[in-house]
Order: sequence, then C-alpha cells, then structure tokens
Amino acid sequence: MTPTLPTDAHPGSAPYLTLRHIDQFFGQFQALKDISLSISEGEFICFLGPSGCGKTTLLRIIAGLDCQSSGELHQAGRDISLLPVSERDFGIVFQSYALFPNLSVADNIAYGLHNRGATAQQRQQRVAELLATIGLSGSEHKYPAQLSGGQQQRIALARALATSPGLLLLDEPLSALDARVRAHLRNEIKSLQAKLGVTTIMVTHDQEEALTMADRIVVMNAGVIEQVGTPQEIYSQPASAFVADFVGQMNFVSGEVLDQHTLKIGGRTLHCHKCRDFSPHAQVRFGIRPEDVRLRGHQDEANRVRGTVTQMEFLGSFMRSRLQVDGLDAPLLADISMNELRDLNIRPGQQLDVTLPAERLHLFSH
Amino acid sequence: MNDSLTLRQPKPTTAKPTTARPAAAARQRPLRQHLSRDEIILRGAMLIGALALLIALVMPLYSLLSKSVQNKDGAFVGLTNFARYANSPSLYNSLSHSLTMALVCTLIVTSLAFMAAYALSRSCMPLKRSFRVILALPILAPSLLPAISLVYLFGNQGVLKSWLLGDSIYGPIGIVIASCFWVLPHAMMIMLTALSHTDARLYESARVLGSSPWRIFFTVTLPSAKYGIISTAFVVFTLVITDFGVPKVIGGQYDMLATDIYKQVIGQQNFEMGAAVSVILLFPAVLAFVVDRWLQRKQAALITARSVPLQPQPRRWTDRTLLLGMLLLSITIVGVIGMAIYASLVKYWPYNLSLGFSNYQFDLMDGGGWGAYWNSLRMALYTALFGTGFIFFQAYLQEKLRGFGWLKHLFQMMALLPLAVPGMVLGLAYIFFFNHPANPLNGLYGTLAILVICTIAHFYTVCHLTAVTALKQIDPEFEAVSASLKVPQYLTFWRVTLPVCLPAVLDIAAYLFVNAMTTVSAVVFLYSYKTMLASVSVLNMDDAGDIAPAAAMAVLIMLTCMAARLLHWLLSKGLLQRSQRWRSPA
Ligand SMILES: Nc1ncnc2c1ncn2[C@@H]1O[C@H](COP(=O)(O)OP(=O)(O)OP(=O)(O)O)[C@@H](O)[C@H]1O
Ligand SMILES: [Mg+2]
Repeated sequence: MTPTLPTDAHPGSAPYLTLRHIDQFFGQFQALKDISLSISEGEFICFLGPSGCGKTTLLRIIAGLDCQSSGELHQAGRDISLLPVSERDFGIVFQSYALFPNLSVADNIAYGLHNRGATAQQRQQRVAELLATIGLSGSEHKYPAQLSGGQQQRIALARALATSPGLLLLDEPLSALDARVRAHLRNEIKSLQAKLGVTTIMVTHDQEEALTMADRIVVMNAGVIEQVGTPQEIYSQPASAFVADFVGQMNFVSGEVLDQHTLKIGGRTLHCHKCRDFSPHAQVRFGIRPEDVRLRGHQDEANRVRGTVTQMEFLGSFMRSRLQVDGLDAPLLADISMNELRDLNIRPGQQLDVTLPAERLHLFSH
Repeated sequence: MNDSLTLRQPKPTTAKPTTARPAAAARQRPLRQHLSRDEIILRGAMLIGALALLIALVMPLYSLLSKSVQNKDGAFVGLTNFARYANSPSLYNSLSHSLTMALVCTLIVTSLAFMAAYALSRSCMPLKRSFRVILALPILAPSLLPAISLVYLFGNQGVLKSWLLGDSIYGPIGIVIASCFWVLPHAMMIMLTALSHTDARLYESARVLGSSPWRIFFTVTLPSAKYGIISTAFVVFTLVITDFGVPKVIGGQYDMLATDIYKQVIGQQNFEMGAAVSVILLFPAVLAFVVDRWLQRKQAALITARSVPLQPQPRRWTDRTLLLGMLLLSITIVGVIGMAIYASLVKYWPYNLSLGFSNYQFDLMDGGGWGAYWNSLRMALYTALFGTGFIFFQAYLQEKLRGFGWLKHLFQMMALLPLAVPGMVLGLAYIFFFNHPANPLNGLYGTLAILVICTIAHFYTVCHLTAVTALKQIDPEFEAVSASLKVPQYLTFWRVTLPVCLPAVLDIAAYLFVNAMTTVSAVVFLYSYKTMLASVSVLNMDDAGDIAPAAAMAVLIMLTCMAARLLHWLLSKGLLQRSQRWRSPA
C-alpha cells in the first residue's frame, strides 16, 4: 500500500457522477423536480435539507434502489440510468447500519469479498486492514449486538468500503448516535474519506454536519436544489431566503430597492452592495445574519441605526439579543460577544447604535 | 486487493450544477430499471410459486363452485342443486343443528378461553406453566379423540353414564362437549395474545383514580380485549360449524351440514349436491374470515409501540377462584385424554378390564393397519418439509423482492384464502379438479403427493402469516446492502435471512406436522387404499364398530404429535442457546 500522488487531477476533466433532469413521482406527488448535478471524483458532497425534501429519494435513485421517473445518471463515463443495483459501483451505509446480526464483525466486513475470488487469507488480511483503518482492530469475532452504536456504524462503513467502490453513499449515518460520538465520528469519517479519496455523498438534515464535513453542499427544499456550493459559499452567499434561513440564522425584513446602492426598509434607507442585482423599485426581502450586526469599530455612518435591547439570551460564547430598531416593525436579532458585552456594559433596556455593514446585507426576491 | 486503500486526493471542485431545462418537460412514460440476473431468477421463482397456489387452491375451488351449478352430466342447471337441497327437510334440520351447535360452543368456549387466558396472564396463581401445557394438549390429538373418549365415559356402556340422567351422549350433548374440547386451545391462543397486549399504564391510571377492581375489569380489561373476544368467537364458530369428525363419531342421528356433505359424497356419490352444500358451508367461514381480517387491522392500531407490559398483582380471592376454575378445566382435559388412553389399553370393554396392547395390533383389523400410521407419518414429514420450505421462501419473496407489486398482491390474497375455506370443502374441490379426466395432473389423484399438497394448502394461511411477521422484523435494507456488495440475493437469504428467522421456521414446521397428523376433514375425500391415513382409519374403525382400536390409533397420533412438539421445543431451545451470543446484546 503505497500512497500515490494525485496524477490524474485535471481541473475541468469530465465529472465522475452526473445527474441530468431527474424527476421522481410517487403517484401524483412529485418528490424530485428536475434535479441536475455534477460531482467530481474524490469530492465529499452533502445533501442537506429539511425532512421530506427528497434527500433519501435522490440517494436511492443514485444507488438504483428506486428507479427515477425520468432523467439520466452517468457514473465514470457509463450510463447507469437503468442499471440494477448489483451492476452499479457503490458502497452504502444506512441509518440503521443494516449489519447482519448473525455474522461476526469479520464476516460482515468480508461479506462482499466472498464471491470475488479472494482467498480466505486475502479476506482475513483485508478485514484486519479495514479494522485497523477504523480503529477497531481485534473485534473480528464479536457480533454486532455486542458493539456500541458508534462501533456498529464504523463496521458498516468498513463493510461498504471493503470492495473498494468508486462511490460511497451515506444516508444520515450519524443521526442515531448521541452528540459526543457524533462529533467524533464526523471527523473520523471525513479524514478517512480524504485518505481514501473515495467520492462520497452523505445525506443529512444537520447543517453543522454538512458545514464541517462537505467539500460542497447541495441544499434541497421540497424536491428541488436550492443551491450548490462550498460550505463558505452556502453560508456567506446564500442563493435564496430558504438557504439563508436553513443554514445558520438570518433576520428578514421586507424592503424596496431605490437605486444601485440604496434600499428602503421601514422608514429609512440603507446602503447595500447587492442592490446592483435588482432593478429600482423591486420589492425585496432584506436579510442580515445576527453575527453581522456590528456594535463598534465600523465606520459606515449611513448604515448606522439606533435600537433598544429588549431581551438577551445567553448562548455560551455570545449573547443573542433582541433589538427594537427605530423604524422597523420586527425585532432584530444580534449576536453580542461576551467581550463586547463587558466592554460596552450592555444591559436590557439600554439604547445602542448598531451598524448594518453594506457588504454584509443580503437581498432576496420575494 | 491491496491497492484498494490507495490514497487519492480529492480533485478541485470544478463542476457546477448543469444548467436547468428551460421548462420542465411533460411527464413521459416512467422508466423501467433493467432486471439483474438475480431478480429474474427470483421473479421466476415467485411466478412458479403463485402458479402453484393457483393450481392447488384457486382452480380446485373454481371447479367446486362450477360443479355446484351443474347436474350429473355436467350441464349448467343454475341453482337447481341448491333449490333441491333447500326443499329437502334435511337442509332445515342440518342448518339449524349446525347453527345451534356452533352458537352454543361459541358461547362456552369463548367464556372458558377468556377465563383461562385471564388466569394465565393476569393472576398470580401457581402452576401457570403446567396449566398452559395441559390446555394446549387437545391440539395434539385428532378431534375424534375426545369424541371416542366421551363414548367410553358416557356411552351406552360408559362409566359415567348415570351423570347424563337418561340423556344420550350420542347427539347434541356429545357434539358440544367434544367440540369444546378440541377448539379450546385454538381459542385460548387468540385470547392470550389479546390479553397480553394490554397497556399497563391504563391500569395504573385507573387505580390512581381510585376505581374498584370490578370497575377496572369492566372499563379497562374487557374493552381492551374486545377485539380478541370477537375474533375468538368467530374462529370458534367457524371451526365448529365446519368440523365433521366430531359429529360423525358422536353425533348419532343429529345431522349437521358437514356430515351432510360426507353423506352426499361418500354415501350417495352425489357430488353435485355435495358441492352445493359445500358452497353453503363456505358462507359462515368467509364471513368469519372477513370479520377477522377487519379486527386484525383494528387491533393493530390499538397497540402502540410504547405500551408497557402489565405485571399482575396478587389478589387473594380472585387468584383462588381462578385456580379452582383452572384445576377443574385441566382435570377435565386430562380426564378425557386419560380415558382414551385407558380405553385403548383395556382388552375387552367392559367385560375384561385387564390391560394390554391388543388394540394396537392394527394389522388385525380393517382400517389400514399400521400401514396407515406410517403413511400418516410420512405424509406429515413431507408436509412439514416441503410446506415449510415453500411457504417460507414464498413469504420471503413476497416481503423482500423488489417490484412485482401486482403479483405480490395476488399472492397475498391467495395466501389468505385457505383460512376461509373449510377442510371438507377443500377436499371436495380437490376431487372435482384433480379427478377430472381432462386434467393433466390427474395422475396425482390417489397418491400421497396429493394429500401433502392438500394439507399444505389447507393450513397455508397461519404459516404464511407467521413467516411474514418474522420477516417484517428484520432490517429491510439487507437486500439493498447485499446487492450493493454484488452478493446474489439468494445467498443472503441463505446466510442471513434464514438463520435469523429459524425459530419461526421451526414453528411453521411443527405446526404443519401436527396438523397433518391430526387432520381428517380434507383428506377424507382424497385417500386411496394405498394411502390410508391414521386419522382417517380412526374414523373408519369407529364406523365399523372397532372403537377400542380407533381409540388406540387416536392415542398413537397424539403421542406422535407430543413427541414432535417435544423435539420442536428442544430444537428451539438449543437454537436459542447457540444464537444467544448474537441475538441479545452483551
Ligand atoms: N415510496 C414512497 N411512496 C410515496 N411517497 C414517498 C415514498 N418515498 C418518499 N416519499 C415522499 O417523498 C418525499 C421525500 O421523501 P424522502 O424520504 O426523500 O425525504 P428526506 O429528505 O430523506 O427526509 P428525511 O430527512 O425525513 O429522511 C416525502 O414527502 C415522502 O413522503
Ligand atoms: Mg431520509
């Protein structure tokens, strides 16, 4: 096992997995609407979205466990649209792990190696190798029921990887675990994936999971893709109000674009870089994340507003505060760090000047 | 294999989502995935299975239905057969007799079964395990055994004849007692399930609210068991109205629908009339079936996953009263069985009461001899073996094969059908279908094979439901995982599904074996002189007046079934011990 350097990484080469215009109907109900997506080799992709948005449905179509109503799939240059599961190239880990209860850990991991002409010794060696990789050496002869949830999860991962598939599919692999194990396994899966370089798709409804693990996130909502991008892109340049709201927190206020630079909300105007993207007099939703509301150290006079602190909620490293801003109907959420709190001596009922930085304001069409 | 963990760096993320279509295209014809070789083979197997059920069940029943509207020459005569039968005074008699017997037995057995199940699941009486075993004993004997035993107890030369105050045991009294005896275990099993599903939290809240024990009984216990009670009542009603062994042996001149069919077919060779009476007999059975299905659905909704099982609390007087009731019931059961065993050993009732095995020398009597016993044993073994294999594998395909929805639907309906078909009706249907000269399968007629097939078909539903329940409990993704690992599905069936479901498989085999040993109703129309069965020979010897050998054969059947049950128990226990490591968490 000698590490080889990434010699075949040509930017712009053909994607590893391509989905084109995938629709899925269950009776009259359309669970997926015109899904198109390309994934490069070695990428770690997360499908992120609220419950029922169609993540599992899409994953099952990629695996061939369900057949799409229409649309095409290509994997490694091969049209797999209509191939049965057994002729596709992937390993899968289900939320339930689906470990075979009557087989030992070793037999579970070696399950797919039997009919590939591997000798008993090769199988044993491979199992030992994989167990070492997932940090469970020596559990060959245990049964799944004798392992903890996190350990079972890793065995399921090893079983899926044993046959060296080109694509790894994970359906909410961590959701059945408690928070501590989950955070630990998150790192472990991510580093294992990076080490093996296997193209991976993980389904999750946990934004933190997606943000920490994915190379790119596919945000889904009600059967459509809302946005595809790196975690930073998704977070800092959300393509829709839905994405902004689902990933992280955002304050929303209705407003109207006045010209290329200014925006009118409530009784006042604000500078905003995004106004360029809209025509004058467009009705928009204006948004700002709570942590982008500045209390000091920002020189943007035009975007300074006056507000009253009405409520404060302690969230560990910062204080989430509700501000009643002059000219706005709804309260504005702002995150105040503990340092600011101390330095500015902020208390409920206090009046403050806050800045809404022009480059941090988001605009979404209605 | 070694290069598989080769390190590859992720490529830069260059790809962007491809451009969306300008407008979503109208819905086209849905795509169909290609089938893997695996799926083609398994679909083929499922088609063959469905075809087998069609031949062994649906087509015979169709023959029967069409026969009931034909005359002797096979011409269509509409409802003439029914009209003829309806106009004969015998119909009115048989119908009212059958209904009376069924209703009386339903009342008695449902109450007794409720009492027994309540005592076993809700009291703190001692000896519960023994009572449970004793109350299940009658299921191991043919229904003819209690009838014969009653003849010895209360017949013309019976030891307890005086208890009847001059009434005769031959007739309704005998029918009711013997029917109650063999139906009770069936009823008790349903009732036990119903009572064991009650949620303890209901009782706790009732007690916290200060309700009296009687009030709790009537407002919590009874309502929560109501579906079980109704279901039991319908099952008992059907079993009694369709049974023919008991009235045949102890019914005397008291005609019933089931004995009418037997007389029409075996006595008068009037097959068309037999078919017409069979159709009449189908009505209550189908009704019971429909009600039962409906109740099952209701009951399933009643039990939530979060139900807490009830731990019974000691109650002095209730426990004692129930203990007394259970003692009486057990003594009766043991007494009836004991009497049959005793009678089978007595040399010449009632004149020479010395004991011996002379009645077991079946080869000296008419009725098939020991050959009948060996036939039965072979038939039961084949039924258990092939029946279990077929039923479990088909249930597996039904549950775990992808797609093929229409066939699964059809199969499920066919698998449930036998529950609504009385054994006699099925047997008669087999005559019409397999004995037809134009049927290419008529070579089966008169062989052991047809007895095995008929018995499997007759007891299909319960086995199928047992298998489905077990299969539903295992992870639905096993097949997906094995397909993704490119392991053929039948290999996963063999390596994982079957071992995990082995307890259920053993249950099915034991159930089929016992029923094949004891059944009379369907096979009585189908045996030939070469394939005489033990249970049928009990009937024939009894008919010929050889009651003691009949008792001996019935006892022999019962002992065989007990041995089978014992073996089943030992196997299951050994299996559970061996698999304990992986079944229960450490
Ligand atoms: N076999 C099916 N038949 C009918 N409707 C289905 C089927 N499978 C999924 N759906 C529907 O399709 C929608 C998407 O389901 P899917 O399981 O893909 O959601 P999900 O994004 O994975 O949600 P979750 O986070 O809850 O797992 C849901 O509304 C669901 O009810
Ligand atoms: Mg899902």
